[in-house]
Amino acid sequence: MWIERKALAAEIPAAAALDTRQLCELLASLGFPIDGVASREGGDVLDVDITANRGDAMSHRGMAREVAAKLGQPLAPLAPPPVAEGAPRVPVRLESPACPLYATALLSLGSGGTPAGAQAFLRALEASAKGLPAVDASNELLLRYGHPTHAFDADRIRGGVTVRWAVTGEKLVTLDGVTRTLASQDLVIADEAGPIALAGVMGGDGTKVTEATRRVLLESAWFDPKTVRATARRHSLHTDASHRFGRGADPAMAAVARDLLVDRLRSWAGATLEGAWTAGSRPAAPARVTLTGDLLTRVAGEPLTLGEAAEALGRLGCTVAAGSDALTVQPPTWRHDLAIPEDLAEEVLRLRGYERIPSVLPPLEGPPQRLSPDYRHRQALARRLAHLGFHQTVTYGFISPEADAAFAAPDNAPQGRTLVNPLGQEYSVLRGTLLASLKAAAEQNLRQGAREVRLFEVAPTYASGTKGPAERFTLGLAWGGTLGGEDYLSPARPVREADLSGIALDLGLAALPQVRTLGEGLFGFEIPVTDLPQAGERIIPAFRPFSRFPSVERDLSLLVGLGQSYEALAGAMRAALPAEVLQDLRCVDVFRHKSLPEGRQAWLMRLRFQADRTLVGAEVDGWMASALAAAEALGAKLRA
Amino acid sequence: MDHLLPAEILEADRAFPGALAACADLDALLRLKGAYVGREGSHAARMMDLLKVAPKEQKRDLGAAINGAKQRWEEGLKVRQAELEAAKKQLGALASSWDPALPPPVPARGALHPLNRLMDRLVEVFRPLGFHVEEGPEVETEAHNFDGLNIPEDHPAKASSDTFYLAAHPELLLRTHTSPVQVRTLLRVAPDLEKLGGIRFLAPGRVYRKDEIDPTHSPMFHQVEGMLVGHDIGMQHLKGTLEYALRALFGPHTEIRLRPSYFPFVEPGCEVDVSCPLCDAKGCRVCKGSGWVEILGAGLLHPNVLRYAGIDPEEWSGWAFGMGVERMAMMLSQTPDLRLFFENDQRFLGAMGGLD
Repeated sequence: MWIERKALAAEIPAAAALDTRQLCELLASLGFPIDGVASREGGDVLDVDITANRGDAMSHRGMAREVAAKLGQPLAPLAPPPVAEGAPRVPVRLESPACPLYATALLSLGSGGTPAGAQAFLRALEASAKGLPAVDASNELLLRYGHPTHAFDADRIRGGVTVRWAVTGEKLVTLDGVTRTLASQDLVIADEAGPIALAGVMGGDGTKVTEATRRVLLESAWFDPKTVRATARRHSLHTDASHRFGRGADPAMAAVARDLLVDRLRSWAGATLEGAWTAGSRPAAPARVTLTGDLLTRVAGEPLTLGEAAEALGRLGCTVAAGSDALTVQPPTWRHDLAIPEDLAEEVLRLRGYERIPSVLPPLEGPPQRLSPDYRHRQALARRLAHLGFHQTVTYGFISPEADAAFAAPDNAPQGRTLVNPLGQEYSVLRGTLLASLKAAAEQNLRQGAREVRLFEVAPTYASGTKGPAERFTLGLAWGGTLGGEDYLSPARPVREADLSGIALDLGLAALPQVRTLGEGLFGFEIPVTDLPQAGERIIPAFRPFSRFPSVERDLSLLVGLGQSYEALAGAMRAALPAEVLQDLRCVDVFRHKSLPEGRQAWLMRLRFQADRTLVGAEVDGWMASALAAAEALGAKLRA
Repeated sequence: MDHLLPAEILEADRAFPGALAACADLDALLRLKGAYVGREGSHAARMMDLLKVAPKEQKRDLGAAINGAKQRWEEGLKVRQAELEAAKKQLGALASSWDPALPPPVPARGALHPLNRLMDRLVEVFRPLGFHVEEGPEVETEAHNFDGLNIPEDHPAKASSDTFYLAAHPELLLRTHTSPVQVRTLLRVAPDLEKLGGIRFLAPGRVYRKDEIDPTHSPMFHQVEGMLVGHDIGMQHLKGTLEYALRALFGPHTEIRLRPSYFPFVEPGCEVDVSCPLCDAKGCRVCKGSGWVEILGAGLLHPNVLRYAGIDPEEWSGWAFGMGVERMAMMLSQTPDLRLFFENDQRFLGAMGGLD
């Protein structure tokens, strides 16, 4: 909210001694940071950030109360000439507890306009001056004192005024010209013909004050905050009035604001008071709160005396009764946010200054907990992939249904993962796959001229379920473009599926994942992070003895069909050998040449044996014969 | 005629193709050659010795058998030698092009994402203070995201204009902050709190709010939540911990400043400023000349948050803070546009993320 320095100083004269910078610092230290300062109408205006719990501070008077409490200086008196109340000139009926208090007055307008000073004040705060004294005065009072008021054209009100719940489907054209269809939870001001205002939110167009208005009926009421918030939200109609009533207005201000408005209309527009009256009574004051010395000391971090606390709370307008070890505090009518002892402790610290809070490290009360294995595993995985040349991406968790369908598992129905209110269709499904996002990021990189793109992401993917989407951390990789060729020793070649399979093996995956083609020369795979081998919970795993005897390495050159499955061949050979002695079996060379029989290639298989004894040549020969026999059973031949 | 050859020669002849294929280099081949056709001690030499002592009537046939075997061996050795020489030549060609004056091949270098890197760093600075990491799901219940955090029933953040909800599960939403991890963790540890001696943790993670994508807004961003529960915890402990951790992060001369503020789940609440790490608080563009930058929101746990988890606020108290990771990353790196963090351009990632 904009606060004019000059107008603030009018409420708290001591503030005049502060320059703009000092004032900004003072307000920030009280919890009202300044978002900006502007120079308007010959003075500085401050854009003050006011938190949602401090509706009472949303005015110059409210801000002045804070400054006065901090400085320990008095506020300027607020005492408009009292308006004598009499019998109601227009009947006012309050039918809902959401409006317990309704102060009003009926005036006939004379001649005159909004004074230049008031117009400049409004302009300085970015509020428009309408040139209609009843409207401008109401706005000016709201910004200066924080209490919303309203002026109706009295001659356009038919019969008495009732504050009641709307009837579902009732219509009201509000001041902004929009026709509102009302709900039964909307509180309205109504005359005999129907609603004439949305209570605490906005007046009606049919009874608005115009240049033709001769008589005005004023409204200065108190409306239930929750009701006003709900109506403002229902109609997406957030106004200066709804902000203040919605955060809790000061019921004690209802009569004062009415009197101020009457006073302004008399002096600005030569108005004559025909009558003033009040329906209902003030709502119950906020409940008393007890603040113990123990709680205050605990929150503050140092022993503060209850006397000091009582003095601070008193400056904020609280009525304080001191006991031996506790204060009983009656918050002022404008502070609806002081409900628990911690609220009061905060007020004491706030006035004292948060800078005076001591700085202490909390003692350790128990042993620190370790990082969870899952978390550590993901961190290690990310580091490992980064060292393998991959770039970690961060992409949105929601994607388009089409992108999702391209890679998500077919049994993972998108319906259970769809948002009801997405930013757009392209962000509407919680992804069942990381590959769609990685593909998009990789292709973007390639379009931007990247020679090679290596990306990975570790993020949750979602699987539809009866209780909602199940979430699990998934690793996705994408690799594409041209490998090598950037130095004179490494020949260039396109990235292949096998490169990703190699990464999968390097990560320790027992079974190769399905490598997907994401695009032209772009491949990827994804797996649940839990599929990857993880270091155990033990600090160091249990000792497993290993052989100190020499191992024996033998090679076997096999002629196999060009379509031979390596997994099948290696599996069959492994199965034919005693697992306790076979240390390793792998293909170390592939030879394809026209000198070989048609449709055949040569695989050089290397086998390594080791046991807890020195191996004898004959037994190794036996194993090699078994391995060869197993290979031959699959159609392989010993290469001669 | 091979029947005239002794068994060990026949065995050697049978094993020859395998042994030949097993020769992975020329040295191995040379050894094999020595063993089969060498001048002395080879199978061929032994055969020649045999031939000398063979009965006269067998000499012709035995000689033919010997020649046949020797020819097979020599032919095999020749072919394999050619094969191995070709391979060696290829390697040699590569090796001969090595030039110490030219830049060497460098392995490809990847990078961690800058946001993850920053979150890792935050975990690192809080670890020595006994904080571990807690995590929670991104799809949350209204109860964990709002109710357990003392957020009133009609709070505007609950509106579908601010929070993403699931179509098939109206009670589920995408968490709008990492604070539901507080609720989950407190509910979990509440029965053991005395035994654990309280709890202290960080909760880094992704959160979602219904903001349009622009240079300063993203519907998904990251937060790091911090929480501590113990006996007699007050504002001094919040200040002490943050001062320690932020000095560990930004350097020992860093100052922090607490300002009153409001969040429904804490009381008292505060915003925390840190002396500008970019200009040493001398005043720059980032701190708008003030020497301070706002870095996080914090406060003492509202008693309702503890009560919701079944923890007695008379006995236990604590503090919590929440930090926007992107905001901090942008401040520290002076990245002009938030969207860069989600575009995943390798040039950005390599330069901004890198590796520790």
